[in-house]
Amino acid sequence: MTSRFHAIAWLIWALAAAITLQLAPSPLYVAVVIGIAALIVQLHGSGGPFARAFPVLLTLGVIFMGIRVALTAATTHTGIGTVLFTTPSITLPQLLGGFTVGGPVEAEVLFLAAAEGFVVVGVMAVFGAFNAVVSHYELVQSTPRAFYELGLVVTVALAFVPSTIHAIAAVREADRSRTGGRVVRRGRLVRQAIPVLESGMERAVSLAESMDARGFAYGGASPLDRVAGWAGFAALLALGGSFVALVGQRSLLALVLAAVGTGMLLVAVWAASAARHRSRYRPRHFTAPDAAMAGLSLLAPLGMAALSGWGDPTLIWAASPLHWPGFTVLPVVCLAALLAPLVRVPLPAPRVQSADERVET
Amino acid sequence: MNHHDGNALIYREVSFRYPDAPRSALHKVDLHVEAGEILLVTGGSGSGKSTLLRAANGIVPHSSGGRFGGDVVAFGRSTRANKPRDLADVVGFVHQDPEAQFVVDHVERDLAFVLENLGHTPQAMRRRVEEVLDALGIAHLRERAPSSLSGGERQRCAIAGALAAAPAALVLDEPTSQLDPQGADDVLAAIGRLNADLGTTVLLAEHRLERAAPLADRAVIFEVGSIVDGPGSPSAVLAGYAGAPPVTHLARLLGWEPLPLTVREARRLASAAGPLSVPSAPNSFDVTVGTAADTPGELLLDARGVRVDLGGRSVLAGVSMSARRGEVIALLGRNGAGKTTLLRVLGRLLSARSGTVGGSGSVAYVPQDPNALLFSPSVRAELNQTLHLLGRSDQGEVDHWLDALDLSDLADRHPRSLAGGERQRVAVAAVAVGGADVLLLDEPTRGMDAPSRAGLERALHAHAAAGGAAVLATHDVELAARSASRAIVLGDGDVVASGPARDVLAGSLFAPQVLRVLPPFLTVAEVAASRTARITP
Repeated sequence: MTSRFHAIAWLIWALAAAITLQLAPSPLYVAVVIGIAALIVQLHGSGGPFARAFPVLLTLGVIFMGIRVALTAATTHTGIGTVLFTTPSITLPQLLGGFTVGGPVEAEVLFLAAAEGFVVVGVMAVFGAFNAVVSHYELVQSTPRAFYELGLVVTVALAFVPSTIHAIAAVREADRSRTGGRVVRRGRLVRQAIPVLESGMERAVSLAESMDARGFAYGGASPLDRVAGWAGFAALLALGGSFVALVGQRSLLALVLAAVGTGMLLVAVWAASAARHRSRYRPRHFTAPDAAMAGLSLLAPLGMAALSGWGDPTLIWAASPLHWPGFTVLPVVCLAALLAPLVRVPLPAPRVQSADERVET
Repeated sequence: MNHHDGNALIYREVSFRYPDAPRSALHKVDLHVEAGEILLVTGGSGSGKSTLLRAANGIVPHSSGGRFGGDVVAFGRSTRANKPRDLADVVGFVHQDPEAQFVVDHVERDLAFVLENLGHTPQAMRRRVEEVLDALGIAHLRERAPSSLSGGERQRCAIAGALAAAPAALVLDEPTSQLDPQGADDVLAAIGRLNADLGTTVLLAEHRLERAAPLADRAVIFEVGSIVDGPGSPSAVLAGYAGAPPVTHLARLLGWEPLPLTVREARRLASAAGPLSVPSAPNSFDVTVGTAADTPGELLLDARGVRVDLGGRSVLAGVSMSARRGEVIALLGRNGAGKTTLLRVLGRLLSARSGTVGGSGSVAYVPQDPNALLFSPSVRAELNQTLHLLGRSDQGEVDHWLDALDLSDLADRHPRSLAGGERQRVAVAAVAVGGADVLLLDEPTRGMDAPSRAGLERALHAHAAAGGAAVLATHDVELAARSASRAIVLGDGDVVASGPARDVLAGSLFAPQVLRVLPPFLTVAEVAASRTARITP
């Protein structure tokens, strides 16, 4: 699916949102960012295999938050907080750290852990939204040509995740169908893992054959590829040497070697890019709307940084003593900048449903 | 023999053996695919068709490994010296699974993939992509993700992806075996148009010949790695072949000449032959299938008012059906009509929102994709595994089903090393061996060759005759005509027709071929039976 904005613009939006979350980790502001991310997915989400990235990653974030809250509540006891209830406790032997698991659960500890976990949920939401709206192939196309093969392989591999989830569901059902719907738990993991892995392997092999038949890596290695190889090797040596020099406190030598290494790295990327004689079909240009969206998004972290420097007390919320998170207008205005992708809302085009569209029934 | 070797796809004495395989997949195959023709390759599962096709652009042996002898020259370029990627501008390859060939999740950009790899200029790419979009009639799909398309649409996009580099030849490995009839029609029509308009040479492997055979200029039949018949005109080559279209078998039975490949040709012959040679309609059919419905047995499965919603959409809107001992029921309907959902409800894999599923019989469901089921190191172990899960062990039962589905020779093979149709039979056997009264089969003949289909039909009849029942969800009206005693047509979650197979199929726009030529006969076997009855009264 073609995305409304250039992949780089989306990348900048995601980074801006993530930095904003770090600058204003108060739960209220995090909630606003998650809401914005959900809205963006709603309006700009693509129909590709990554369409479900947002709910999946959001769920993952919530699970992580739950684990974090449970662990913190069980192991952190300040002794001065409001005790909600007390669980049975054991003190681990000295060998395992000697701390106490269980005991009084304090409200402040619980809320603080939840607030910290919520920031992770926010970051996951932003990352999920980015994956749901961006065209991954376009992202690969935007990298230097030297990274094209690698990027493509990673993209194709990522696209296997949804199809594997689908395969797992099918295999579980097939397993039950053998016994007329009865579940046999013994040996189930092996019975279900093997078909999923083997089907995945078969698909991977036929995809590789298909890519080969369609000229992927056509032309083979050229002299420039060798140049790229040697330049890369030299860059590695120089950068390693620079690190050693830094440890040995020879700053000047370290600086020179670092400069040489970086230069060689650039040569390697250039040579590898020039060696690829593949061309690009309808490359997407970074247009004025893309720049406007990216620029507008960046206002959010910049504004937050200014407010943070100003000393806005509501940006960071401390649970102790217990109180509601504060809320002022200026940070919300900053957050509104993350709505920048709405400057170009897709037309309400009805999704064309072909008559014979496959429906999984 | 083509005197101009640079202008054909030539196999010279090609032999090939996969690594660790007990026997050769191809044995000294000589074949000239002339420029501009459609050559149809058919033959049983595992006969070497796929290997032949994969050798056209060097996937065999470059990707597969194994021992390769002889030479394949694709329009002047030998696959010995060229890898598949180097032949991308000469041979376009399309796989049978439409899902496993997309690199980019965007139809238009996926088409351009091969052009980018070959380093075409931006202007040339733009023009070529637009042309290919039109050639396959998929311009309206250009912005879509392949995963959101129907099977037929997806396969047409895959063909476009192979065609983008303007290859001289297009190689298609069972491109319609995973598709419903509508999707298969669309794909084959597109192939015919490409050949007629652009002169693209087509090498096509197919099992289901009703649609593919009329399209071909020449045909060959493969068996155990060698050409056993052809190349020659399709009607001559397929005359004696078990997998030929039903009208061809009918014409051979009645001695019509020349052998027809389509219903249209057969009708013309039928009217030319006059009423004399046409057998009269019998008053009652004494074919075993016909009698089952007349003497209803015990009720094994009884579903009443089944409603199912999936993903907020009503899939089944109050479906009622039953299965009695001795019945084989065909469940017909287009993709998305709710066939699979109904089978899953009957198989106790999915619970209905309302309605009841009762009956005295045990049920077992065979999923559409055999790969979801198979995990054992051998076919026999796969069957034993089911009994093991049920806490039983009965070698007699295992042998019975291996025999019933013609799997005895394959009993020690690894299920994953088998061809598609063979795997499908293993899946049926692995579920059926559990001893369920009612077998629920979801598209069991997908990718199956004629002998496999016949074997499956025999096994199902035997199962029904022994007091069981079977429900088949299928697109294949010929299968329904040959094997079902009752047919149920689903449309948009409702039962739109139900009754004896003869009545339901006769009133259908998609009637089986024999019925369209010689009503009221459904199958060639019925015509044959009535003739013997007439000759020896």
